[in-house]
Amino acid sequence: MNRANFVLPEIELMSSGHLGCQGCGGALAMRYVLKALGEKTVIVLPACCWTIIAGPFPYSTLKVPVLHTAFETAAVAASGVRAALDIQGDTETTVVAWAGDGGTVDIGLQSLSGAAERNENILYICYDNEAYMNTGIQRSGATPRFAWTTTTPEKNPKAERKKDIVAIMAAHRIPYTATATIAYPDDLIRKVQKAKSLQGMKFLHILAPCPPGWRIASEDAIKIARLAVQARVFPLYEIEDGERYTLNAPHEREIIPAEEYFKLQGRFAHLGPQEREQMQQEIERNWARLQRLVQMKAPSDDGA
Amino acid sequence: MGRAITFRSVAEMPPLAISLDDISHNKTGSWRYLRPVYRNKIPPCRAGCPAGNDIPRWLALVAEGRLTEAWKTIRENNPFPGITGRVCAHPCEAYCNRKEFDEPIAIAALERHVADEAFALHDEPPSGERRREKIAIVGSGPAGLSCAYFLAKQNYPVTIYEAESQPGGMLRLGIPSYRLPRDVIDKEIDDIVRLGVEIKTGYRVGRDIDLERLWASYDALFIATGAYRSRPLGIPGEELPGVLAGLDVLKAINTGRKISLGERVLVIGGGNTAMDAARTALRLGARVTVIYRRTRAEMPAIPEEIAQAEAEGVEFLFLAAPQKIERVHGRLRVHLIRMQLGEPDKSGRRRPVPLPNSEFVLEADALLKAIGEDPDLDFLAEELETSEGIVIHNERGRLSRAGIFLGGDARTGPSTVVEAIADGKAASKAIQRYLRSPSRTASALLPERFAPEKIKLNTSYFAHQARVPVLELPPEERQHGFAEVKAPLWLEDAIVEAQRCFSCGVCNACDNCRVFCPDVAISRVNGLYHVNLEYCKGCGICAAECPRGCIDLIEEGR
Ligand SMILES: Cc1cc2nc3c(=O)[nH]c(=O)nc-3n(C[C@H](O)[C@H](O)[C@H](O)COP(=O)(O)OP(=O)(O)OC[C@H]3O[C@@H](n4cnc5c(N)ncnc54)[C@H](O)[C@@H]3O)c2cc1C
Ligand SMILES: Cc1ncc(C[n+]2csc(CCOP(=O)(O)OP(=O)(O)O)c2C)c(N)n1
Ligand code: SF4
Ligand code: SF4
Ligand code: SF4
Ligand SMILES: [Mg+2]
Repeated sequence: MNRANFVLPEIELMSSGHLGCQGCGGALAMRYVLKALGEKTVIVLPACCWTIIAGPFPYSTLKVPVLHTAFETAAVAASGVRAALDIQGDTETTVVAWAGDGGTVDIGLQSLSGAAERNENILYICYDNEAYMNTGIQRSGATPRFAWTTTTPEKNPKAERKKDIVAIMAAHRIPYTATATIAYPDDLIRKVQKAKSLQGMKFLHILAPCPPGWRIASEDAIKIARLAVQARVFPLYEIEDGERYTLNAPHEREIIPAEEYFKLQGRFAHLGPQEREQMQQEIERNWARLQRLVQMKAPSDDGA
Repeated sequence: MGRAITFRSVAEMPPLAISLDDISHNKTGSWRYLRPVYRNKIPPCRAGCPAGNDIPRWLALVAEGRLTEAWKTIRENNPFPGITGRVCAHPCEAYCNRKEFDEPIAIAALERHVADEAFALHDEPPSGERRREKIAIVGSGPAGLSCAYFLAKQNYPVTIYEAESQPGGMLRLGIPSYRLPRDVIDKEIDDIVRLGVEIKTGYRVGRDIDLERLWASYDALFIATGAYRSRPLGIPGEELPGVLAGLDVLKAINTGRKISLGERVLVIGGGNTAMDAARTALRLGARVTVIYRRTRAEMPAIPEEIAQAEAEGVEFLFLAAPQKIERVHGRLRVHLIRMQLGEPDKSGRRRPVPLPNSEFVLEADALLKAIGEDPDLDFLAEELETSEGIVIHNERGRLSRAGIFLGGDARTGPSTVVEAIADGKAASKAIQRYLRSPSRTASALLPERFAPEKIKLNTSYFAHQARVPVLELPPEERQHGFAEVKAPLWLEDAIVEAQRCFSCGVCNACDNCRVFCPDVAISRVNGLYHVNLEYCKGCGICAAECPRGCIDLIEEGR
């Protein structure tokens, strides 16, 4: 059918006038997440682009409470907010830790792991723009191999692979872990709503293209997110209790070569044929691994 | 809300760094250097339709099962959806953007479906007062009827003079009922009569009534007498019994006269008349061979008809032409010669030239000439000049006397139903312009065509899906009767097929632009979209993600 029309909740809890750049994927991700969660939501925000997008004192871009906190403390601060609400008898409000990839896979990782280990009843969302964008495009543990950043210049691009934060979170056996991106808003909203309905720790990894940091045209922000999924650079899947994997996208017939994804982005412009081939092989390996995980049968009783 | 806050002293500040307002005072529209502008475009299918059929608009209605509204929408530009849905060569489909994606939309089959479903519906007669100026139309083919329809809708009193005993022109006389059932013609003509149009049959202008009389009694005339004079082969033996004009045979059969052609029939020509003459002869029990002097690729007939004729068992002999006909023992001996293709002629097709020493002979009971027809405009003699049978008309369709207009096959030579409809529509406009200011000389009649526009589609939102097949009566069952060959669509199939339409360049309120705006700058009111330019940063996402190219990005002035 042609009319793959998205029907999203009408509510808008992010206001126009925010400070995100033209075509900011992170801003759009927040807009969708709040559509899914509604008014009874608290956002805990460590240092990241969103600290700025949310507006300078005394303004706020969001129509829900926001707690600004230190770079490494998203998960623990959210745990504290959750505890305070519980004491007040408010079990309805969703507490969201909303952090960048640097704040998640690098500096915030111990705090995140602690909260996951304690199975805190929070929703942790990492919006991943694949570098420290707020401070001027420095590499993070989530920057892809070979990508250009200001600290991994063309002559010396990043040598390491992207840290697999989803696998790390699955290893904590938390109730729900999922990936999502802005090109698939219906999928994203469904996952947020599902996370909201579950007790305990939930982790959502959202790929959020950054036009200035990725060196793409702002109008291509959605397209690049779609290509990331179709090229299997960023497959969409969910994991229940750290073991039951479900693949949502791409379908076999949608799969495209990774080159389609790389070629639109200035941050990969310097890649030679060898690097491109190596990336393609890495994608194939990750895909094969994901297929194995999806096919893996979870033991009927978890015993956890 | 939306104010800039200034603190004049520390005392005015809140005790905690807590927000006091949203950020809507920050008018991010000032960042913008590209501005999104909603602008619907003319889709290629519509530009490809001579009548300017607003295809995506009514397909959207079919997709929702709103067939009555779809019928009314088609009839804004075409009074004959049941007819064109069956016999139009549907140039629209050749332009359909979907053909690059998988297969074009089955526009014609859907048009027929809409008309079939509306068989019991009729137009409301126009409200308001009848106008004083009276118009006479000569000829009740699709051109004359279309002109009458559009004038009647504007409250003009219209009278049509028709030479034959029934209206319809080639629809009835030329096109056989296995392609166009008679009740469909009757219904769609009746719809026009119900608008108050009077059709006087049995009046041949120039014989039963002359043009000067009409001119004296009416304020404007439209001549749409078609092209009926069959071109002669120009070879010896043409006058022999058994050598007939294909069109005369069709006219006879289509008006219910019984004729017999014998067992073996040759048809000379490659156009619609040749195909229908051959298929009709086949249905009368003959073995039929069509002889054409070029190759299949150059045949002017509608390709679908060629395929149907072939499926029914009509044989084809390409690159051959008759040179002489004799009658021996009650049968025809037709002397032919092989042809080969030489240099391109005026029409751009390669000119056939005889291959020396390649003569051969075929025997037959009848030979049907179908190499084309010319308009017969002798009754108009003073009004125009002709050159090689083609009418030279003044001022783009208006004849030398102001107030007399010419259209349809009579103007263009043998053409198509939809071109005739377009001519009739254009004539109705030219006549209205003339009646408003008779002194104006330049009343254009040539149909106004929509120019196709560049449309950037984003096909990520479309799924591949095969075109609905149009079923046909098995060839064995077709051979001995005149039952309609093409089957109708089921309602479910019609809806699914209509949903395949991309709605190129025509916003269908899919909501993508609003969904993907990172700045919450797009709103929708009653299905119409609006960009809030106070906040739009000009990222261009809305334009890029519109599946159907309805948003342009224009540079902001400095
Ligand atoms: C066998 C055949 C098959 C065809 N198949 C197709 C097809 O599948 N698809 C398609 O699009 N086109 C087809 N065509 C072409 C199409 O029918 C014509 O292009 C179209 O009908 C032209 O419309 P018109 O109104 O200009 O003329 P016509 O339809 O020819 O109507 C002219 C009318 O004027 C009347 N008339 C003539 N002289 C006078 C006079 N002096 N006084 C009063 N009345 C007069 C005639 O009797 C006739 O009723 C076919 C044509 C033929 C011959
Ligand atoms: C302890 C500490 N170190 C460094 C910083 C500076 N700083 C602020 S945001 C940021 C980068 C954040 O990157 P990421 O988490 O990926 O979010 P993004 O800005 O990319 O959205 C850094 C290094 C800080 N605020 N605190
Ligand atoms: S897809 Fe629809 S709107 Fe586009 S060209 Fe085809 S019929 Fe016309
Ligand atoms: S998506 Fe929004 S901000 Fe971007 S150009 Fe369109 S209206 Fe403007
Ligand atoms: S994206 Fe959809 S709603 Fe927006 S202009 Fe295009 S067709 Fe209309
Ligand atoms: Mg980042």
